[in-house]
Amino acid sequence: MPIIVNLDVMLAKRKMKLKELSEKVGVSTVNLSILKQGKVKAIRFSTLNAICLTLNCQPGDILEYVE
Amino acid sequence: MTTFKHILVAILIMLISGLITYYLKPNNPIIMVFLFLIVVFFIFNLIIRKSLSFKNYFTNQYNLFTTKVWHQKSYDIPKDLMFEKIIEVINSSNFKLVETNKEKLEILAISTITFKSWGENLYISFETNGNETIMKFCSTTLFQIYSWGKNEKNYDNLLNDIENSLIV
Repeated sequence: MPIIVNLDVMLAKRKMKLKELSEKVGVSTVNLSILKQGKVKAIRFSTLNAICLTLNCQPGDILEYVE
Repeated sequence: MTTFKHILVAILIMLISGLITYYLKPNNPIIMVFLFLIVVFFIFNLIIRKSLSFKNYFTNQYNLFTTKVWHQKSYDIPKDLMFEKIIEVINSSNFKLVETNKEKLEILAISTITFKSWGENLYISFETNGNETIMKFCSTTLFQIYSWGKNEKNYDNLLNDIENSLIV
């Protein structure tokens, strides 16, 4: 898929663990792991909003379109 | 095998009906022993159904007392992650998680016994094929020759739950 999820990059930049993000966002670590690997079917705006709020970033920092 | 099973069940039903009409008298020892064996068999099955160790007993094709419905589905998600995912999905579904084996990657979930159903055992195992994880589902219903579509319906519901859970 041409959409790449850069969640691991943002987590490394913010020096945050997946478990910590999971607790703050309210999404299970399993779901975040699947999201990190880009294997999810879709992402809700509410989840994206919570991740951006926690990581203090833009949606474009997490999702990237590559041709 | 299925035809043989159907013939055997028909013969058994005829034999039991014949025996009951012939021997049905109050306090007949043969009937008492027969009823006692049926009760013991039922209780034995109810006790062992909650253990993964008896998977082969319930899913064996020669076990004529259970219905077995096999399905498989593949996802491009690693096996370990999918294992955790299924546990999460089962916990929020109508099934009850009974036992998991992280080493063998096996799951046993059951549906509760109601007035309408003897209950259903759902065995899930995981295999890898390249980048894909193949999940094998075996749904067995105790003391029931035919599932009457209930197993398929429950499987479809679970599959929907899995699909929905992939929307985060």
